[in-house]
Amino acid sequence: MASQHDGAIDPLLLSRLGASRASRRRFLGGGAAAAAAAILGPSFLAACGSKNEAGSTSTSSSESAGPATGKLRVSNWPLYMADGWVAAFQKASGLTVDYKEDFNDNEQWFAKNKEPLSRKQDIGADLVVPTQFMAARLMQLGWLNEISDSAVPNKKNLRPDLLNAAVDPGRKFTAPYMTGMVGLAYNKAATGRPIKTVDDLWDPKFAGKVSLLSDTQDGLGLVMLSQGSSIEDPTTEGVQKAVDLIKEQKDKGQIRRFTGNDYGDDLSSGNVAIAQAYSGDVVQLQHDNPDLEFVVPESGGTWFIDTQVIPYTTQNQKAAEAWIDYLYDRANYARLVVGVQYVPVLSDMTDELNKVDPKVGSNPLINPPQATLDKLKSWKAPLSDEQTQEFNSAYAAVTGG
Amino acid sequence: MAGVASSSRQRSKIAPYLMILPALAYLGVFFVVPFFTLLKTSLSTSGGSIYLPTLSFAWKFGNYSHAFSTYQDQIIRTFTYALVATLLCLVLAFPLAYVIAFKAGRYKNLILGLVILPFFVTFLIRTIAWKTILADDGWVVTALGTVGLLPSEGRLLSTSWAVVGGLTYNWIIFMVLPLYVSLEKIDPRLIEASKDLYSSNRRSFTKVILPLSMPGVLAGSLLVFIPASGDFINADYLGSTKTTMIGNVVQKQFLVVKDYPAAAALSMVLMAIILVGVMLYTRALGTEDLV
Repeated sequence: MASQHDGAIDPLLLSRLGASRASRRRFLGGGAAAAAAAILGPSFLAACGSKNEAGSTSTSSSESAGPATGKLRVSNWPLYMADGWVAAFQKASGLTVDYKEDFNDNEQWFAKNKEPLSRKQDIGADLVVPTQFMAARLMQLGWLNEISDSAVPNKKNLRPDLLNAAVDPGRKFTAPYMTGMVGLAYNKAATGRPIKTVDDLWDPKFAGKVSLLSDTQDGLGLVMLSQGSSIEDPTTEGVQKAVDLIKEQKDKGQIRRFTGNDYGDDLSSGNVAIAQAYSGDVVQLQHDNPDLEFVVPESGGTWFIDTQVIPYTTQNQKAAEAWIDYLYDRANYARLVVGVQYVPVLSDMTDELNKVDPKVGSNPLINPPQATLDKLKSWKAPLSDEQTQEFNSAYAAVTGG
Repeated sequence: MAGVASSSRQRSKIAPYLMILPALAYLGVFFVVPFFTLLKTSLSTSGGSIYLPTLSFAWKFGNYSHAFSTYQDQIIRTFTYALVATLLCLVLAFPLAYVIAFKAGRYKNLILGLVILPFFVTFLIRTIAWKTILADDGWVVTALGTVGLLPSEGRLLSTSWAVVGGLTYNWIIFMVLPLYVSLEKIDPRLIEASKDLYSSNRRSFTKVILPLSMPGVLAGSLLVFIPASGDFINADYLGSTKTTMIGNVVQKQFLVVKDYPAAAALSMVLMAIILVGVMLYTRALGTEDLV
């Protein structure tokens, strides 16, 4: 939370007061543009739409969006959008988009919207972008509309691992928006050596200079993998073993803080030498501090996946599907990825990314090589109610006590 | 509540009740009702889906013993931090309020304004600013390290010191203002009189100024101690994994673990301890006059 732009006072910070588990999305961009976007929101983004972007790549999408008319209300995480992208979509589809950056935290969003959703009342959004575990929860509760295959022909462009995921085979209800890697970020100047494994976190040399993520899955995943435990089929024993190790290290004073996405400042300033981190954050942080590195540990890292879902209270199903289809066009999506700098959910993006920005296409944190992809695992989704509760309680006993 | 059946002759008696009616209604809706909801939650068991938990009332006092035994450390830590912060506020604010009230002359309003000025910046930003000031490689830590004054962790940020410091800094204004008001009210002639009776400066302070400023001391301590006990932002940003306060635990239980009864029981415990503490303190200072 604290990590946003250097020195600039961040207006969105205030809206997040009360959430220690902040969104994992670092605010993109360093300075005035980001601040302005945060203040002005959609109007700013819309105003940024440049003419050459709009329309050049999207003729096919606009055809498939034919029957959709009217207004589409999108609720997304703060600064999780590329400049001009919404305007380009509006131009291509003829739809009016009411783009809101009011999705700050999965659990908070759920707490706020569960009442109206359970009564099937409009929640003011036709398309929402929760993280996969939350999307799975909504799906289980029967609160999502199916995304029609015929309205989203570009779904074929999805990465096979995402398309065939056990959580939602064929992605009938949850359309991935962006993925990111959870791994280790370190400050070369502070560590004095490259970091390769999770065990490096427990090196006495870094006592009090280590931060872990407070989110249960993101925080425990790396540690469990390093202990040889599975996260694809997690067990109580596996979770407890990781929790015990973290507790031991915490009691020793090894772990400085449990963080949301506010580890950036501590890492940049050298207060923390190694942090569990999200890949997209580190891409941003590297702009300001070239000493920072991101590594997927040898024992493995984890994915997080944010998905677009259509609540069953949507007022414009067709427009929401048109949005998803437009987004799943590789050329359109490349522009989005270059803006938000997370890992694409579409396959074979290298060429399209290079067309927009070769630096992004060759950035291993955005377009990871196969060797890295092979090391990444995903948590079983959805976890059963009992598991969710058990795992959350076990980890909270360490992070909150 | 305002004597519905009273005759018109008694209207003058009813008037005060009518006047406090809005405040009573407000308290009823926003305090009494939530309070009993919280009380009920704290004695309930949680069942059903964790996503949409159903609470059933069961006189489950076990929630309280569980809260006590599990979070004993945090409870003790919370009140230690809050107490130390309150004392620090008092020690720092008293001379300041004294100077503003008696010595500042025409600069009185200016100084008061300067005291209040930082509080126009939001709480969160002010707290985060301390992260920069106290950074491990910052000049404050370097300077203190050179003279060997760093705590055992070898840093300032993410230690108890930083948390207590943050609490003191963030709440001190609530000490300065009531102290200033009560000092300002003191009739200077009383001080002159004590001097006329050959009282030393020290004696006129302990016998005249301090007793007369007690309402301010009391009000200020309460205004600092109570919010400091419930604070979780300072521990979150300036603290480490070993400085969690009750506020952090409650927040985690409510938002992550979703054990509403446990969180409610902890909140009640916090409230009860504060209440008892405040009553003892008020009695000890022997004043019923809050500023």
